Amino acid sequence: MPTVVVMDVSLSMTRPVAVEGSEEYQRKHLAAHGLTMLFEHMATNYKLEFTALVVFSSLWELMVPFTRDYNTLQVRRARIEGRKLSVFQNKPKTIGQFQQQTEWGAAIPCQVVLVTDGCLGIGRGSLRHSLATHAQRGDSNRFPLPFPFPSKLYVMCMANLEELQSTDSLDCLERLIDLNNGEGQIFTIDGPLCLKNVQSMFGSLIDLAYTPFHAVLKCGHLTSDVQVFPRPEPFIIDEEIDPIPKAINTDLEIVGFVDIADISSPPVLSRHLVLPIALNREGDEVGPGITDDTEDENSANQIAGKIPNFCVLLHGSLKVEGMVAVVQLGPEWYGMLYSQADSKKKSNLMMSLFEPGPEPLPWLGKMAQLGPISDAKENPYGEDDNKSPFPLQPKNKRSYAQNVTVWIKPSGLQTDVQKILRNARKLPEKTQTFYKELNRLRKAALAFGFLELLKGVADMLERECTLLPDSAHPDAAFQLSHAAQQLKVASTGASEYAAYEHNIAPLHTDFPGSTAERM
Amino acid sequence: MKIFSESHKTVFVVDHCPYMAESCRQHVEFDMLVKNRTQGIIPLAPISKSLWTCSVESSMEYCRIMYDIFPFKKLVNFIVSDSGAHVLNSWTQEDQNLQELMAALAAVGPPNPRADPECCSILHGLVAAVEALCKITEYQHEARTSLMENAERVGNRGRIICITNAKSDSHVRMLEDCVQETIHEHNKLAANSDHLMQIQKCELVLIHTYPVGEDSLVSDRPKKELSPVLTSEVHSVRAGRHLATKLNLLVQQHFDLASTTITNIPMKEEQHANTSANYDVELLHHKEAHVDFLKSGDNHTGGNSREGTFKETVTLKWCTPRTNSVELHYCTGAYRISPVDVNSRPSSCLTNFLLNGRSVLLEQPRKSGSKVISHMLSSHGGEIFLHVLSSSRSILEDPPSISEGCGGRVTDYRITDFGEFMRENRLTPFLEPRYKMDGSLEIPLERAKDQLEKHTRYWPMIISQTTIFNMQAVVPLASVIVKEAMTDEDVLNCQKTIYNLVDMERKNDPLPISTVGTRGKGPKRDEQYRIMWNELETLVRAHINNSEKHQRVLECLMACRSKPPEEEERKKRGRKREDKEDKAEKLGKDYESDKPWQESERLKGLLDREKEELAEAEVIKDSPDSPEPPNKKPLITMDEMPTVEKAKGPMSLLSLWSNRINTANSRKHQEFIGRLNSVNNKAELYQHLKEENGFVLVNALLQRS
Repeated sequence: MPTVVVMDVSLSMTRPVAVEGSEEYQRKHLAAHGLTMLFEHMATNYKLEFTALVVFSSLWELMVPFTRDYNTLQVRRARIEGRKLSVFQNKPKTIGQFQQQTEWGAAIPCQVVLVTDGCLGIGRGSLRHSLATHAQRGDSNRFPLPFPFPSKLYVMCMANLEELQSTDSLDCLERLIDLNNGEGQIFTIDGPLCLKNVQSMFGSLIDLAYTPFHAVLKCGHLTSDVQVFPRPEPFIIDEEIDPIPKAINTDLEIVGFVDIADISSPPVLSRHLVLPIALNREGDEVGPGITDDTEDENSANQIAGKIPNFCVLLHGSLKVEGMVAVVQLGPEWYGMLYSQADSKKKSNLMMSLFEPGPEPLPWLGKMAQLGPISDAKENPYGEDDNKSPFPLQPKNKRSYAQNVTVWIKPSGLQTDVQKILRNARKLPEKTQTFYKELNRLRKAALAFGFLELLKGVADMLERECTLLPDSAHPDAAFQLSHAAQQLKVASTGASEYAAYEHNIAPLHTDFPGSTAERM
Repeated sequence: MKIFSESHKTVFVVDHCPYMAESCRQHVEFDMLVKNRTQGIIPLAPISKSLWTCSVESSMEYCRIMYDIFPFKKLVNFIVSDSGAHVLNSWTQEDQNLQELMAALAAVGPPNPRADPECCSILHGLVAAVEALCKITEYQHEARTSLMENAERVGNRGRIICITNAKSDSHVRMLEDCVQETIHEHNKLAANSDHLMQIQKCELVLIHTYPVGEDSLVSDRPKKELSPVLTSEVHSVRAGRHLATKLNLLVQQHFDLASTTITNIPMKEEQHANTSANYDVELLHHKEAHVDFLKSGDNHTGGNSREGTFKETVTLKWCTPRTNSVELHYCTGAYRISPVDVNSRPSSCLTNFLLNGRSVLLEQPRKSGSKVISHMLSSHGGEIFLHVLSSSRSILEDPPSISEGCGGRVTDYRITDFGEFMRENRLTPFLEPRYKMDGSLEIPLERAKDQLEKHTRYWPMIISQTTIFNMQAVVPLASVIVKEAMTDEDVLNCQKTIYNLVDMERKNDPLPISTVGTRGKGPKRDEQYRIMWNELETLVRAHINNSEKHQRVLECLMACRSKPPEEEERKKRGRKREDKEDKAEKLGKDYESDKPWQESERLKGLLDREKEELAEAEVIKDSPDSPEPPNKKPLITMDEMPTVEKAKGPMSLLSLWSNRINTANSRKHQEFIGRLNSVNNKAELYQHLKEENGFVLVNALLQRS
């Protein structure tokens, strides 16, 4: 998930910090030190993360739009200078607008790292004022929190806890997290303000939010060490029944394969790149996340490139066959692996996570009930691979697939009556369809208690009978009056004639070719 | 997300008292005269629905939409009330469909206008509704059982939708009081019961309906909390289509639905088949499908008006599908749909098109003219889903290509073989429960994992790492040895395969041994066979514990495979030497058996003829390269030569050329005796020394000199 670093450059950030050493430090220097460390970490271990840099005081400015170029971020950060008073409110608004601009969309979670000294400013537009008037805001000048996208807000305070507690700053900052639906955390400097403690504060942020996720991809005995990027975040299934967030296993176990046509664009929680990595004995990573200019690393990369890796084999075959691998992520949690092409040349192994649960995709059925085709009596894919056991058919058809009767609009009723009438005029050829439509109408009328309609249609059929031309087949008259009579008795509601399951059967006549149906 | 919210349980209570038989006074013309008919016919008089018919029809429509969009976990209990309560179905999932409800309603029939109004009341139904809400559903039961000590987390909430004809506001209050009282009493009962649950929250939706043209005696009232358990709202609605509209609105509120109108659907005209017109179809679905519009505030809603007019719909444009190509879209959600006007011609045309297996992409109309595909309609097994496609910038854009990462430089992966492996390990649903030998339930997915484990016990990833998987002749064995259980026929096939290989060795057929990465021309023919046999043994050994039949295959293999004479010799002397090249060989060393050998010998005779035929075929299949010239001698210069890759295709120009040079060179000098007698380019030096001393054995590599 993309990161927005929002840096406070108001005057209060230039407050000096008492350090024993010779040089005089300001809070902004501490902040700069922390951010340098964060960017360095990301450049080596979290290289694919998009990061943007925004500064704010009473105004805000986008210093660096979303990028993976951490050099630029470092350079621009170094150029930031102190500005005016802190007017807090603009900041979150900025991010909101800003994120829409870049079009990650409302579904992509974002991490916001706010670097500030906890001085909230005074007067209109300050955070304190904004929070106090929060309830009175209308739609037009809505407070920017919660952000219109899922987010985590990390507040990095260039101040220690005591300092913040002495004013109401901490409360205000906590309100911010609350407003963001509790997503986020406040970090303060532990102990005196110095470089070392700033480092450990950013260290905890890195541990929390920017440690790469390493896993082992397994398919029976074939395995590969991988990094999954971005990190899969824990997921809460139902905060009432199952309030504990579920995290995915570090063993990603392939359970079988399914054709792309059968899995058919399933809904997913998130998508992740699966990047093979080479772990050496010390557990250090030599993988795609790194481009170091040291020669050692380069040669290590080259060696790793030449060692056969299961991910590459799997990716190649998935791509060629047009299939996905179903992967188990945890108890009752599944996902799929597939080849994703970014451009004509580049393609990658991608993993999508399904919603946790025993049956994430109704058309595949319960995941635990999927087994190997060799266990089936005959190959469900057919000898020539011309059929498929998927999709599963639900027990009950949906209304649009079962020809339900809805007469809420008069046109619905009129269409159904017309159908009967049309077939009535083509008797005896259309005897079967005529009775089918008649019985459908009869059933619905009985269920809705609409007996008047039965009587009305009976009258109509009787009239049709009188209007029959001389050339008409004699059977037509018999069937029409039989049907009319049957509807009439049903319209009395008397139980012997108005049974729902009962169907009006065609009158048995002896005319040659009378009940022959020509569809 | 909560499973057990108020919408888990809905009780419909419909008034069946005599006054509901009254007409709604909204006429329906049903006798529409078709043009060109005989003149002078007077159409039949229009008819009108009763209040009862309107109520039933509207509530069925509510259920239709709900069942379409939530076929599971959203349940309805239908009750009609007159002189008593008639409960038409239960909470069980089997009872949750329109057919069941329609049949039950037909059995009840319309209210009897001549019944005594004094003994009829909606109260019976309301009391029964509260009772029903206390009853546990199968989902609640399942959740409680699985949560054990945390069973109290399973909520019991519900909604009562009561359609009646009330006399006044105070009558309405009386009904509310009655519900409140009943909940209080039943909660006391439920507290002492295992199969009942206390109601935590109940939403009462009272709908007062009256004939069109009359004045309402009851006033509307928004939702109000009557007690911590009970909230109530009152809707006063004219019967006929007004009631249907109200319930349509309610179902959207109750189940968080939203509306999407698909516009510009091209449809053939019924009368003029060669022209087509564009139609719109409105669909309902869960509102999450609009999450991108809702959050960004960028909504394309038609009429943006609030309550009252419910036409708030997002318009998406139909994109005529070009091909039937199968593509994996990045989809962030899929939601079942229900057409608002299910029987209309445009609706049924659209749904039938989708049910036939076509998918339709939907485009957001944008003023700027840029085309953004945001949704897709697709059916899966007779159910239509609205898929939400991601249309925003990807955070994974411009990833490093897989060829740049670990293993990316390797070019001879067994892609095709693994594709075959994947097809053999495809999944299929097993809906009938199966049981293991010990009577416990067998989980199909565990069987699938088990099979993957078996199939990958020996599975080299690249072509140059394997000999046997490059040989057509090994396929019959390799494909059955991984099985959990083999038939006698399978064993026979394996044995045939082995004899066939023996025969190939006897004929000195070339093997597709890869020489990639090795210096020199690669191993000699008998060494090639040794490598092949070792690899085959590794494969078979990986499976000997599967069954006794697998064991038999190994026995046959051990009996048939030839061992190089030197090795035999070494064995006799009891000297064990490490052969780093081949670990598998070590496994096989101690294995000796005479009996199976005889048996195999017998079989071998039987199969001889067949095998020979097969072998002939193999030669053609497996050795595209021309037979090597006889008496070809190893050469000094050979080590410097580029390697010849035999496994693949016809000979390259390079290998032709180098072969020619080699042959020419070989005529110019005499080969070293040592090299001529070498095994795997190794020759024993000082051979006589060991005869003298009996213990010194020097093994040296015959390197470039």
